[in-house]
Amino acid sequence: MPGTLDFYLEYTNLEITKLNTGGFSVVSGWPGWLWERWGARRKRDMEKRLMKLVMDWPGRIMAGVVLAAVVVLVLAVVPSVKPGLLPGLPSVRVDTDPENMLSADEPVRVFHNRMRGEFDLHDVIVVGVVNDSHDSGVFHVESLKEIYALAEYAETIRFSEEGGDGGGGREAGVIGADIIAPSTVDNIEQAGLGSVRFEWLMAEPPETEEAALAVAAKAANIPFLDNTMISGDGKALALYIPVTDKNISYQVAEKLRSKIAEFGTGSGNTYHITGLPVAQDQFGVEMFRQMAVSAPVAMLLIFILMWVFFRNLNLIISPMVVAMVAVILTMGLLVISGNTIHIMSSMIPIFIMPIAVLDAVHILSDFFDVYPRMKDRRRALEHVMDELWTPMFFTSLTTCAGFASLAFTPIPPVQVFGIFISIGVVLAWLLTVVLIPAYIMIMPEKSFEKFGMEHEHTASGWSLAGVLQKTGRITYHHARLILVLVLVAGAGAAYGISKIQINDNPVKWFEPEHDIRVADRVLNEKFAGTYMAYLTLQAPEVEGELTLDESMLAEAPESVRDALEPHLGKPLADLNEIILEKQDAAASDELWDAWEDAALLIGRRVQESDVFKLPEVLRYMESLQQHLLDTGLVGKSNGLTDVVRTVHRELFLGEQEAFRIPDTSAAVAQTLITYQGSHRPQDLWHFVTPDYRKANLWIQLKSGDNRDMQAVVEAVDEFMDDNPAPSGITHSWFGLTYINVIWQEKMVAGMMEAFIGSFVIVLVMMIVLFRSFWWGLLSMIPLTVTIAAIYGFIGLIGKDYDMPVAVLSSLSLGLAVDYAIHFLARSREIRARCSSWKEAVGLVFGEPGRAIARNVVVIGVGFLPLLLAPLVPYQTVGFFISAILVVAGAASLIILPAVLRLAEPLFFRKAAEKQDTDNH
Amino acid sequence: MNDNRRQGTVKSAMLLGTMLGVMAAGAAAGHAADVNEVVGKANHAAYYQGTDGKARVSMVITDGQGRERTRDFTILRRDSSDGQDTEQKFYVYFNRPADVNRTAFLVWKHPGQDDDRWLYLPALDLVKRIAASDERTSFVGSHFFYEDVSGRNPSEDTHEILEETDNYYVLKSTPKDPGAVEFAYYKNWIHKTTFIPVKTEFFDKQDKAYRTYEALKVEKVDDFYTVVQSRMTDSNIGGSTTMSYSKVEYNLDLPDDIFSERYLRAAPRKYLR
Repeated sequence: MPGTLDFYLEYTNLEITKLNTGGFSVVSGWPGWLWERWGARRKRDMEKRLMKLVMDWPGRIMAGVVLAAVVVLVLAVVPSVKPGLLPGLPSVRVDTDPENMLSADEPVRVFHNRMRGEFDLHDVIVVGVVNDSHDSGVFHVESLKEIYALAEYAETIRFSEEGGDGGGGREAGVIGADIIAPSTVDNIEQAGLGSVRFEWLMAEPPETEEAALAVAAKAANIPFLDNTMISGDGKALALYIPVTDKNISYQVAEKLRSKIAEFGTGSGNTYHITGLPVAQDQFGVEMFRQMAVSAPVAMLLIFILMWVFFRNLNLIISPMVVAMVAVILTMGLLVISGNTIHIMSSMIPIFIMPIAVLDAVHILSDFFDVYPRMKDRRRALEHVMDELWTPMFFTSLTTCAGFASLAFTPIPPVQVFGIFISIGVVLAWLLTVVLIPAYIMIMPEKSFEKFGMEHEHTASGWSLAGVLQKTGRITYHHARLILVLVLVAGAGAAYGISKIQINDNPVKWFEPEHDIRVADRVLNEKFAGTYMAYLTLQAPEVEGELTLDESMLAEAPESVRDALEPHLGKPLADLNEIILEKQDAAASDELWDAWEDAALLIGRRVQESDVFKLPEVLRYMESLQQHLLDTGLVGKSNGLTDVVRTVHRELFLGEQEAFRIPDTSAAVAQTLITYQGSHRPQDLWHFVTPDYRKANLWIQLKSGDNRDMQAVVEAVDEFMDDNPAPSGITHSWFGLTYINVIWQEKMVAGMMEAFIGSFVIVLVMMIVLFRSFWWGLLSMIPLTVTIAAIYGFIGLIGKDYDMPVAVLSSLSLGLAVDYAIHFLARSREIRARCSSWKEAVGLVFGEPGRAIARNVVVIGVGFLPLLLAPLVPYQTVGFFISAILVVAGAASLIILPAVLRLAEPLFFRKAAEKQDTDNH
Repeated sequence: MNDNRRQGTVKSAMLLGTMLGVMAAGAAAGHAADVNEVVGKANHAAYYQGTDGKARVSMVITDGQGRERTRDFTILRRDSSDGQDTEQKFYVYFNRPADVNRTAFLVWKHPGQDDDRWLYLPALDLVKRIAASDERTSFVGSHFFYEDVSGRNPSEDTHEILEETDNYYVLKSTPKDPGAVEFAYYKNWIHKTTFIPVKTEFFDKQDKAYRTYEALKVEKVDDFYTVVQSRMTDSNIGGSTTMSYSKVEYNLDLPDDIFSERYLRAAPRKYLR
């Protein structure tokens, strides 16, 4: 493809520099004045000095840059490979925890962790077992034998080496006491002759098919297990395996997988391992695959594209070096500064590469345009750098500002992402202006010669050129139509934006056919739901200390009243000992009994604060649970109520009408003490605190979509508003599914602020650059149109506004404005040479137009390898970044000329006059 | 927050003896004579001293987070008259917390077969027979199992002497039916002169000790060396339970008929004082 270089030659030879330092230098207004007085001169000084340095010492500069890259690489990598060799430096840390979308001291997280502690809850790996090859599902001898073995095995998974220092508490691994599996949970049932029986549901694997079916029947009869451990259809099982720390869940899942692999296929069981912790750990693994595959593929693609454009290896190696060094330095600094590799920061390389390559290509292209005329590389370079300094500076600055605006979101990983991309953009710019000239100075002089000849070819007859010329003519003749269409499209976009669904779901970060998604679908179809949220109901703090008062004294047996009276006003807690002493010393059985009654009176008064033993409170919880079920979003909720009702039912012959809350708090307490005679009394404390002041509803949702969680939250608010809770009980939420809702809310608001903030900053920068309010405003049009189009499109197709989508707005800001800068600067310059816009259009849609089109191709394609990533957020970003580039390019090439055509006097009269005065 | 609910404390200095202990060992046929002897004596010292007995027990259950709950109960025991350390009856009457006051357990212990167990829940006006196929369930939510309270039948395990120190026989006991219990084996430290088991450690299949019984205080009551404070710690579920015994008495001539279902609803107050 001979002559393709021309696009770049023309495109990069923008001569914005002339706008700033030459032709339009006397534009009035303070920004221009400021530029003249301070910016331009400073810029020239800095540029001149830097360029002299580079050209005097190209070899050392190159060596210095390479050395810096090597040093950063070593500092970043060595602490991970050889810990201890470089003390004080952090090793590479991977963070896939969605919780970290909020900073650690965020109230909702603090509360989440405190409640998890109080209710002794842990992250859970869910192992679903289904069997389609057997009529009774997994409830036959062979299947249950495997499931029994798996649960036995799970209990033994421990990592004593984990954490190194021993941690002081439990060893890392599975929390055996809390596993929910047929062999680890209790069955309570009728045992004939008015007996009730507590026993392991499946103490050992059944030997007969009848016994296997009996396990299913028993499990289905226990409300806590039904639809949680045993599926609604009674054919599948889910094991819940809690782990001490979610960071070991992938290791645990791997061990479970290898155990499952030992079973072979004899039983026909299919095992699905899921749960948020596994998903997160899995995500970390896939993330590295993304970095290992997508980033190099992007590099290769850019390389191939440049080869197609330039057909010269020498030429295209230097931009690749710039990109590589920029990536190494940025990621190295990220690691050295102790930041984690997160889903967001793992995308940094693939963002920096295309951005870094482009500036480098600008210089090279321009150089090979100028060199044949000058035949002196030093002079040619000086000329090129002088020309390109300002446009490169400004496009880098706007890109930088776009990403830096992410620092104002309240989401730490997004902040890190934004800040380090900004750093990367600055580094890429610096490396470009330093490395490329140095590279050119080092290359053998003769290798430049043939490029000059290539330059002789022109781009005539090229189809892209034809299309662009046609486009140019259309923008001139149908400017009004274009603007009307833009307005219509804008209305469509506004409608689309109004339709935007704010939603996210970390499990959906995996592709639909990923194991995790499959497990998610299967289990949520068969069970009450694998997404957990917790609703805490809390009685207000008890104020002050309970003391012996007159009314209690009046209630006390007469025979002890006198002895009690001196203790009026004493804390009840202190009276026990006194009464015991009196009781010991009691002369008669009657007196002993009287003291016993007094002690019970005090005990009952103290226990009045046990609100979650009160029947009316438990019945309120029952109706709240029913309301949750009625939303249709909650598959099931488990709470203290279910424990009480189930035990009560079995105490009364297992009759369904006895499945209720008993009528007194003593009856509740005695039901609970019966329950505590089981194998797992500690399960009670997942549902209520031992002081009976806080209760916890474990809510299983079939969907992890934030939108659905949000709806449940609202349903509960509504219920509690309409039906005030007894005993002043208040509610609050925790659990990962709920935390996701909170960070999403913060992100939506935060991204909006970040976007508006950086929009204003870029607008000011444009006004400074063009030294005109109207030109500055005009340059924001492609960006605005792009954002509207992208978000309108997202709303119209029903794609959820999720984390990656939220980040897109700032990305567009950084990228889309580049085209406007190039297009408008070039238009203004060309128009100044022509007598009218009509005359200028043809020229503008020549090389400059083609350059923008080509630019869209290079960066757009550069991001496409993200589509190869196995994780949906990367695909989303890849697709939409490419889309943003196309839309922004099109908006620049179609809307800007149409506006210029219609508002020609506003934009050019003044400029033309200035031009005139300048020429005189 | 729960401390202020502790009702009934123990003046342990005054207290002597109990019939509650944990884990004796047993005589298994075919083993060295001295193992059988040690196990038999330990079983006797822990569960069968005197022909009957009574104690008031204050139980403090501390969970993994340090939160405490208390239960106060009175326990009555009567042995069968054959003097063979076999059949026993227990009556457990709950005093506190107030909302479980008058709740009562009755246990007829039958070594070698399932015990008979009854439960009386006054607030529900219900006497319920509990089918106890498995003794290794929690005793009213504590870290002790029913079996720890009533005694594990020595013939369910095979025993060996691991070590003999100046003061203790260290025994290792392995269940004959491993499927029926959650432990792989346990070790018992038996005091040489009193034959009181002062420490028992339960091990899982990975040889990890996860559950530990300790006799914290031993006193002599009516010529019987008696554990008056003991603790069970369980690292699997976290936390521990301490039982303190007061008003320990032996050989009270408790009538056999109070250990019957009839006396669950109408507690024998006279003997519970």
